[in-house]
Amino acid sequence: MRDTRIPNDWDRRGLPGWTYHSPAMLELEKEQIFRTHWQIACHVSDIPGIGDFQTFDLCGERAIILRDRDGAVQAYHNTCRHRGSRLVAADSGNCPGALICPFHGWVYNLDGTLRGAARPESFPPMDKHVFALKSLEMELWQGYVFVRFRPGPQPAVAELMRPVADEAAAYRMQDHLPTDGFWTETSPVNWKSVRDVDNEGYHVTIAHPGLQDLYGASYVDEPFVDGVSRSVGHYTPSKGRRWAVRNYKALSDPQPFLPDHLHKSWLYYGIFPNTVIAITPETSLFYQELPIATNKSVVRSATYRNPVETRQQRLARYLASRIDRETVAEDIQLTIWSNDSMATDSFEGFYLSDLEYGVRSHHDHLRALLPIYNRESRPPEAEVRTVNHALAQDRGA
Amino acid sequence: MTQAADEDNWQRAQLQLPAGQPGSGARRYAAAMYFHARGLMPPQMLEIYRRCYRDDREDPVDLARFEGLAPPPVTGR
Repeated sequence: MRDTRIPNDWDRRGLPGWTYHSPAMLELEKEQIFRTHWQIACHVSDIPGIGDFQTFDLCGERAIILRDRDGAVQAYHNTCRHRGSRLVAADSGNCPGALICPFHGWVYNLDGTLRGAARPESFPPMDKHVFALKSLEMELWQGYVFVRFRPGPQPAVAELMRPVADEAAAYRMQDHLPTDGFWTETSPVNWKSVRDVDNEGYHVTIAHPGLQDLYGASYVDEPFVDGVSRSVGHYTPSKGRRWAVRNYKALSDPQPFLPDHLHKSWLYYGIFPNTVIAITPETSLFYQELPIATNKSVVRSATYRNPVETRQQRLARYLASRIDRETVAEDIQLTIWSNDSMATDSFEGFYLSDLEYGVRSHHDHLRALLPIYNRESRPPEAEVRTVNHALAQDRGA
Repeated sequence: MTQAADEDNWQRAQLQLPAGQPGSGARRYAAAMYFHARGLMPPQMLEIYRRCYRDDREDPVDLARFEGLAPPPVTGR
């Protein structure tokens, strides 16, 4: 049972501002947070046919997710064993029967084994398994394809998501289909600023008039507990004052497979460190922020729909996406303001409301991994890694 | 028909895809590599397919003949 209560007396500070602007800190985060934690690469419906593939890049690592000739989903490093070239350069596509490296022409079977090297007579005999593509740790959860580039502290995805698995299963997301492909947007902020805004609903009342109109004060955040947070908003009984919300509420039909309490709700599951699965009666979507530089992140997202929908449900889905699109645009501005505050000496740091405990709970997860987040003053860049290492050793002692 | 024979037939169909079909150059080269690994495609002919892998319009068998190579029976021509 998750204990999602907010403590009576908790440290209302956020992370030190310097951690949002330190390149050495970002390198630590890439190495010990992003490469070692589960990431959503795509949904199984993005690769429905044999040879279909989807690529996913993260912090210098490259993944290719593909459907093999047995219909199974496979994940490999998108790296040729010969000279390290990208095997596929496109974001998505189909490679019928084999993968061919565009650099020299090595050929791989869809099960990852080496079919053969170009100019094979110029090599000694090569074992197809020894020179196979390197597999990537992968797990399917309710249709979503999770990958992890290096072993890390999180349990298997099924274990990680167990607290919300029954609720999520009602939506039958494993049967969902793509809508309009992948959406990415580059934002001039540190990745943590995106998450800081997303991890609390305190701002919804004034920043997101659409969501306020949709579910208003019913919205609640449950903090991150063991790597997963949960937020939910139930539609208010009013008709809705805004055009999109009014029509969405009017058109959003109960889905026959959903239990009553989920007919009029939007759900959000936060997955540490950087991913959210958001679910409405009409759709499921994921979004994640991927760090590029201390002041540059890419927000990546894709939306999926029920396989069977009426015309009315299609309209409701369009309206849901319109409400969501407005929310995303509003949040991007908030992340820029939040990120800017971290660079000014006059700002003394967050003082968080009980309604923002989700932010603190995310920070606590970060602090547990990298104790240097607890260092209020900025160490010299060259010492960030060694200071963190020393703090981790002290904590372990 | 055995599974290996099925695979041979499928790969042969890939090898014989007509020139001009989008993606056919890569499919032909991948199939040529399959037959090379089975000892049915000499390295010189495999190299012809490799040269054509990015040019869907180029017919490897025509190119082989132009270069004075005899295509192996597996090509079907």
